Amino acid sequence: MADDLKIVGLLCNWCCYGGADTAGTARMQYPPNIRIIRVMCSGRISPSMVFKAFQEGADGVFVGGCHIGDCHYDAGNYKWSRRSKIVEDILEEFGIEKERFRHEWISASEGEKFKTTMEEFHKTLSALGPLELE
Amino acid sequence: MLEIKHTLCPSCSVGCGINVVLNDGEIVGTFPYKRHPVNAGKNCLNGRNSIDCYKNKFDDVDADSLISDISKELNSASDVTVICSGNSSVDEIEAIKEFAQSKGYNIGFYADNLKNYDDVASYDDVENAEKVFVIGDLLYENPLIGRRIVHAKQNGAKIFAFVNAEASVTFNIADECFNDSVAEFLDAAKDNIDESSVLVFNQIDSVDDLDKIDALGCKLLPVFSKSNSKGALSLLEPKSKEEMFELLDNTKVLLVFNDDIADELEYDFSKLSKIISFAPCSNKTTEISDIVVPIKTWLEKDGSFVNAMGETQSFNAAIESDALSEIEVIEKLNG
Amino acid sequence: MSYVLAKSQNEDIHKAGECGGAVTSILKYLLDEEIVDGVLAISPCDDVYDGIPTFVTDSQDLMKTAGSYHCAPTMIGDLVQKYLFDKKIAVTAKPCDMRAIEELIIRHKINKDNIYVIGLNCGGTVPPVAGRKMIDLFYEADPDDVVSEEIDKGQFIIELADGTEEAVKIHDLENEGYGRRTNCQRCDVKIPRKANIACGNWGAEDGWTFIEINDEKGQEMIDGAKKAGILETKNPAEPAIEGRKKVEGIMIKMANKIQDKMYPTVSEMDEWNRCISCYACRDVCPICWCYENCELNKPFFKDEQNVPPTPIAFQGVRLSHMSFSCVDCGQCDDVCPMDIPVSLIFDKLQKKYFNRTGYVAGVSDDIKPPLYSPEKTEL
Repeated sequence: MADDLKIVGLLCNWCCYGGADTAGTARMQYPPNIRIIRVMCSGRISPSMVFKAFQEGADGVFVGGCHIGDCHYDAGNYKWSRRSKIVEDILEEFGIEKERFRHEWISASEGEKFKTTMEEFHKTLSALGPLELE
Repeated sequence: MLEIKHTLCPSCSVGCGINVVLNDGEIVGTFPYKRHPVNAGKNCLNGRNSIDCYKNKFDDVDADSLISDISKELNSASDVTVICSGNSSVDEIEAIKEFAQSKGYNIGFYADNLKNYDDVASYDDVENAEKVFVIGDLLYENPLIGRRIVHAKQNGAKIFAFVNAEASVTFNIADECFNDSVAEFLDAAKDNIDESSVLVFNQIDSVDDLDKIDALGCKLLPVFSKSNSKGALSLLEPKSKEEMFELLDNTKVLLVFNDDIADELEYDFSKLSKIISFAPCSNKTTEISDIVVPIKTWLEKDGSFVNAMGETQSFNAAIESDALSEIEVIEKLNG
Repeated sequence: MSYVLAKSQNEDIHKAGECGGAVTSILKYLLDEEIVDGVLAISPCDDVYDGIPTFVTDSQDLMKTAGSYHCAPTMIGDLVQKYLFDKKIAVTAKPCDMRAIEELIIRHKINKDNIYVIGLNCGGTVPPVAGRKMIDLFYEADPDDVVSEEIDKGQFIIELADGTEEAVKIHDLENEGYGRRTNCQRCDVKIPRKANIACGNWGAEDGWTFIEINDEKGQEMIDGAKKAGILETKNPAEPAIEGRKKVEGIMIKMANKIQDKMYPTVSEMDEWNRCISCYACRDVCPICWCYENCELNKPFFKDEQNVPPTPIAFQGVRLSHMSFSCVDCGQCDDVCPMDIPVSLIFDKLQKKYFNRTGYVAGVSDDIKPPLYSPEKTEL
């Protein structure tokens, strides 16, 4: 059931969370499957948070941060972007499609981008179906 | 000064080797003992934590005055029971047995509700069996026997497992899983078992299951929860759970040698008038004891354990200590 | 970087040691001149299969560490880090030991100034218990009669008490599931170039040790030992240097072949379903040093009811912490009660990381693995 898909979203306080807010106040329609967790910076997200989300039953994990160069803590999103590669590398080895994990730079003004990202991600996950861990 | 010494793991009757690390005269950690034929350097969590018993050992006390108190107590006591277990080494069990018999005390020896078998399967027999029947979550509870079952599986054996749970790690490698009762498992096993089969078990539901096991006619490997239960079984008659309760009902003074009987048996120990415990570190039994005499851990003495497949393995003290050994306790009690 | 051939001037050491006893002589020099407080080296305890790390403070005791032991898959990185941090020491180190030491230096867990590393070239180690079984099966010999063993020209050679030698091709042993540990078969770092000096018999004449001097400290060690009259050196001829290079090249090529064969099997691994959450792999890992502060001990990851653990929430978390620094020492394989080939996935992830960043754990000159760096770069 595409409606039952669970997406955990880890969104940076300064940009992507604002983007989601913008999408909301503009009453943009997007799949409501995301459960948002606000974090202060994408740089404080560790791979283990993503893995924990999958273990707890998430079908997809989305991470949103500030555009490169816009990090409010200077280089947090650079750190996250390097970390995200390791997450992909690890997920693959445990039979979790790397498409289930997505990250995007979305600024506070980009409500539209947040909306389309959610639509795309939901579509990808619908095609993959629910995640079944051994 | 850093030093690494060989010893045995005291956490169950598999008889794994383990190295301990000593630094400046203190035991600070464990190190894999890869040369040991039983476990090739692999130890489970219990094994690696076994040195906690040394790290948390009781402070030194005036043992002589404690023992003279105990002697006084025993002189006027009737219905004394001595609890002896597979935690003690072969020599210690002999000494405890002799002491109890000479004084006319009862001996309470409990070996997981199981009994002795003269002929048992070796660990290699398990690996080479065509069918392995398993009672208990061996992979989790006795991982270094569990490993042999995994090897059997890799060698093409079929694995039949009974575990009293919905899911277990042993089930994950088993071809057929049972979780109703041991009796039902054994009944189902009867038709499948042949001479090339091995039954590995660390528990039963009731003593009736033992008769069923005797009737199977295949090689058996009982695995006990204590390092020297097998050695104790060749010296002492084990009591079933019911027999232990009966014995405790008729006991006024309980002498516990290096055992945690209060953890093992659900019994109202407050009915006893006196509990005296000889133990290296705190456990449930010492908590309810009237007198506790600190004794040596296995790391502080020489001795030997007999492992589940009947091999006697000796160990040497890894570190010196002033605490009394069980044999010294008995010598002092004898005056 | 420069090369020398060396051998001991001390008769006893020359006899007891491997290839002229250069390593033992250098250790003796360091101890006698009080340059170090102690030496951590491997010595056989019960027999040749039972090599254990031994800390020696008196050079008289160095004799028992002489000789090389291929059935001693030990790891000394964590011992140095936990127990010898504040001492001035010299250690002998296989490439994986050295790589672990280097990663721990990066993490400020070992003080580089306090440690002299005599590197030992290594073609791989054999697990003792399986090694004895192997000798029983493939050699006409009783494992108990073996007085020494060596690996040379692709063969595992045993020497018996009566002086006879027997050799079997390692390739044949490994095809049958014996021989070197699987991580050693994959290992492509055969010479520990982060050590002050790297010693071995590749390219050496009989009775001499071929030494690659990697840094100033290494040069001082050799010069000092020579001056103390315990070590004799000469320059290796060009063919010797070439020969050594060739041996290394062949070994690496073989390792690469095995990597290509083994890495694709990782995603198919079903061994995780017998994991019992005993944490032996984590506790033995020389790179994992957080101990009780490990994230896996936090209440949100500690799940004693869940055995086996979800692989992604157990090994996945460990992988994310340190796989980029995995030195492929294989200790996790060795200690796993369930025989799960844990190191394979860690090693593969380090290779993936290498492909992205060029970072080889414990070998690269980067100050920090790029994951920790504040650099403003993306991968």
